[in-house]
Amino acid sequence: MPAADDRSEKQAAAQQAVDILHEISTILNCHLDRRTLSICISMIENGVNPEALASVVKELRREGQEAQLETVAAASAGNATLGTSTGAGRKR
Amino acid sequence: MAYLAQLGAQVDELIASLCGANLDEESVQKQQAAHRESVLRSLRHHTFLRVNQFDVQDQLNGFEERFRVIGREALANALNARLEALEVHQTKWTPDILRFLLELSDQPAQKAKLSD
Repeated sequence: MPAADDRSEKQAAAQQAVDILHEISTILNCHLDRRTLSICISMIENGVNPEALASVVKELRREGQEAQLETVAAASAGNATLGTSTGAGRKR
Repeated sequence: MAYLAQLGAQVDELIASLCGANLDEESVQKQQAAHRESVLRSLRHHTFLRVNQFDVQDQLNGFEERFRVIGREALANALNARLEALEVHQTKWTPDILRFLLELSDQPAQKAKLSD
């Protein structure tokens, strides 16, 4: 049982550290949610260079925004087509 | 190989987290397939130097001072308190994680809100 206690203590300490780092990221206005921050922390702990990771995060954010814009544009184009065909149906 | 597999899994999670918001499962998988290779290449072959912990500390002190200069005492105190609390949980990776946060910081003196 002491081993289990030790593990849960370590987990609690790690959680606390992530909480503090998340608060620091909010103060520095990093636009990171807890999940993304946790993933990035584990990547850094695996030896990934933090500056390379930051540039990847910026790039992925940009790509994500573009993908969302494309999705919105496709959805609005679909609605427009639907509206036109409905309008044409009414005319007939 | 194990390292690469682990890194690949983490990269997939990162892509899903950053590009997958408001997207369905199929679109997330498409995003992961599209970006996985380039992200792995960027992370493995880069030209960045190792992190200088003193430089990181200087930058954080600079932010704290700047917050005080522009009259955002509460923000400066909050940053100072969090950095002190983090000292208990110091690991060898702490300067690297703080460096990462500093890289992503976006005009905190003007835009950061304590209410967040």
